[in-house]
Parts: sequence; C-alpha cells; structure tokens
Amino acid sequence: MNINATLLAQAVVMIVFVAICWRYVYPPILATMQEREKKISDGLEAAKKADDSLEEAKLAFDKELDKAKADAAEILEKANNRASQIVNDASSKAEAEAEKILTAAAINIENETNKAKEELRQQMSDIIIETTQKILGDEVSKEKHEAILQKAAEEL
Amino acid sequence: MAKELTTESYIDHHLTNLTCGHVGMDESAGIYKTFWTCDPYMVDKMGFWAFHVDSLFWSVLLGGLFIFLFKKGMSKSTDSNTAPTGMQNFVEMCIEFVEDNVQSLFGSVKNTLIAPLALTVFVWILLMNLMDLVPVDFLPVLAGHIAYAVAGGSVDWITSPESFYFKVVPTTDPNITLGMAFAVFVLTIYYSITVKGLKNFVAELTLHPFGKWLIPVNFVLEMVNFIAKPISLGLRLFGNLYAGEMIFILIALMLFFSSIPIGVLGFGLHLVWALFHILIVALQAFIFMALTIAYLAMAHETEEH
Repeated sequence: MNINATLLAQAVVMIVFVAICWRYVYPPILATMQEREKKISDGLEAAKKADDSLEEAKLAFDKELDKAKADAAEILEKANNRASQIVNDASSKAEAEAEKILTAAAINIENETNKAKEELRQQMSDIIIETTQKILGDEVSKEKHEAILQKAAEEL
Repeated sequence: MAKELTTESYIDHHLTNLTCGHVGMDESAGIYKTFWTCDPYMVDKMGFWAFHVDSLFWSVLLGGLFIFLFKKGMSKSTDSNTAPTGMQNFVEMCIEFVEDNVQSLFGSVKNTLIAPLALTVFVWILLMNLMDLVPVDFLPVLAGHIAYAVAGGSVDWITSPESFYFKVVPTTDPNITLGMAFAVFVLTIYYSITVKGLKNFVAELTLHPFGKWLIPVNFVLEMVNFIAKPISLGLRLFGNLYAGEMIFILIALMLFFSSIPIGVLGFGLHLVWALFHILIVALQAFIFMALTIAYLAMAHETEEH
C-alpha cells in the first residue's frame, strides 16, 4: 500500500487515454450528436413554418370567403333596392298618368257640358224670341229688345 | 511456503498488490547484483521504483475497454440520419451527461479538452469501481491458479496459487487514485499558467488573502489550499473504495471462518452491501469527474484579486 512509481505510471496512462479520447473518440460522437440535433431542430422549424403558412392560408381563405359573402349580400341588396325603385317608379308613373287622364276627361266633360249649355241657351232664346214674335207680331223685334233678351239669356 | 489460511493471511492476501520492481542485492560474497522481480518478499527492497502490476493491468484494460466501447458504439452510425440504437444510446447518454456538467461548471470558457477529460475520468473510474462488485475471491484465486500453472516451475517465488497476489480493484490502490489526481493537478497548473499567465498565477498564490505585505503567510496558506486539492481528490476516491472493498472482505470472512448461521447472514449482508455499493461506485466516479471539472474551471478563472 505504499506509494511508488505506480502513481507516475497511472498518471501517464491517464494522460494517454485522455489524449486518445480527446483526439479520436469524443469529437466524432459530439459532431454526430450536434449534427443530428441540428437536423431535428431544423425539421421542427420547418414543420412549424408549414403549420404557420397553413394557418395563414386558412386565414386568407376565411377573409376571402367573408369578403365574397359581403359582396354578394351588397349586390343582392342593391338589386332589391333597384327592383323596388323600379316598381315604385312605375306605379307612381301609372298613377300620374291615370290622374292626368282623369283630369283631362273631367275638363273635357265640363267643356262639353258648357258647350251644350251654351247651345241650349242659344236655342232656348231663339225659340223664345220666335215664339214671342209670333205672338206679338212686330211689336217685339229683336233689335228693339236687345237688352231685355240679353238679360233673359243671361238669367237662363 | 503455502501458509495456513488464517483470517490475517486472508485479509493480507486481498490487500497486497502484485508488485514488480528493481532490486539491488548485496550477496554474501560481496557481489552487487540488480534484477527485476515480482517476489512479494522483495517489495521492501524495491524502493520507489516499483510498480503495482495488477492495478496497472486492470487500469489499462478498463481504460482500453472504455475507448473500445465508445469507439465501437459510434462506428456503425457516424451519420446523423439514423436514429441511435443500443450502445450508441448509452454512449450519447454519457456524453450528454458530461456535456451538461461541463457546461454548468465551465460556463462560457471553451476548452475542447475538458469534456473528453471529464468523460474519460468518469467512465474509466466507474469501470474500475465496478470491479469491486465482482466477488472478492473470484479473480485473485483465478489469477493465482493461472500464474501457478504457467510459471509455477520457472519462477522461484510462485510456490503455490496463494503466493501470487492479485488485487483486482484499481481504485483501492492509492497510487492509482493519486496518480489520476496528479495528472489533473498537472493540467490545472498548465492551464493556470497558460490561461492566466504566470504573473497572475503567482500573484494569486502570494497576494491573497492578506495583501502584499504578508506574502510569505499568503504563500503558505495558498499552497496548503493548492496542494490539498489533488490529495483530497485522490484520497477521497481511494478511501471510499478501499473501505467498500474492506467490508466485502470482512463479509467474505464471515462465510469462511464462522459457524453456518453467521455464514448465511454473511450472504445477506453481502447482497445488501453490494446493492449499497453500486451507489458509492457511481457517486464516487461522478464526484471525481465533477471536481476535476471544477478544478480546471478554477484554473480558467481570470478574475483579479
């Protein structure tokens, strides 16, 4: 159990083994491990990227869909508005036309009525004068009683 | 000279290394002779230049196993396209573990030696510690018989299988643990000088904690601190594993030198201790690694005092 040259021999042996490990054993193992680690992390990164872009595409798709829906709704509303406007326009036009026709007809009727009244009055006064002439002879002439006749015609 | 098997000789046998060294002998005729031997009775004459062949054998074998496993585990699939399987998973788990520890203790400083060093230290010590879980008599007895069969006739000191010592767990040999701590110590000094610069390194050892008027006191204090690190690093591992091994030996003694009920109890205790020891084996390997990283991290710190 005494200390002897074994100590030095062991120190030398240890240095040799450490040197072998340092030069030939450790670096390739570490390199392999690091390379694999890098590959795995790269793979994970790529997977994450793919995931992200999928998410992005989904979002874009949803956005487009929403936009299309909104557009469609807008178009539909516009069309509805336009249709109802057309119907309104048409009905108001028709109403106006009817009104116009009605007014025209009423005016026409009044005119005809007035015309008929005038004619009737004329005829009436003629008949009255004629009849009066016949009864009174020449006492009553149209020229002499112009004013009276006129008054009578107006009263009729 | 096959000795009678006693409690003392049994323990002694398990705690003695196979030591080979250079011996100078003053023979009776005055002829001075030097030779290499592994005779356990010559150990006292070998002095410093002796080697614990068994400890070094297991240490080199297990270190080689480590290199082999980690090289083989990755060889088939050095491309990063295939999913890792089997051995590769284990290898990568170890590397991941070491990288995490280095990262947490070292922070931003980039030194490519630290992680391989920590990995080697961790796996190697783990493997050496795990030898403790092989039943205490297995390998020494096997080695003794093999040695006796191979060299029993030609080598004069191998007189029986029992005369051949063979200690299995390298980390129960303070030479091994202190040797590794020493290597770490050398690296610490090297990086202290190259990263901080010699001036800063010397300043750190002399101008702290009392300022420049008490340089000798500072130096003594810092030196104790500095030297204590590798010694505690080595002795901690050695102490834990040596105690563990010792308990295995004592439990094994219960089986051989006592009555049957105590022997049965010994089996139970052996199991319990082995299970508990798995924890110590891994924990001590981890502690050695963590402290190695920490000491080297300290050597990289360039903060001004």
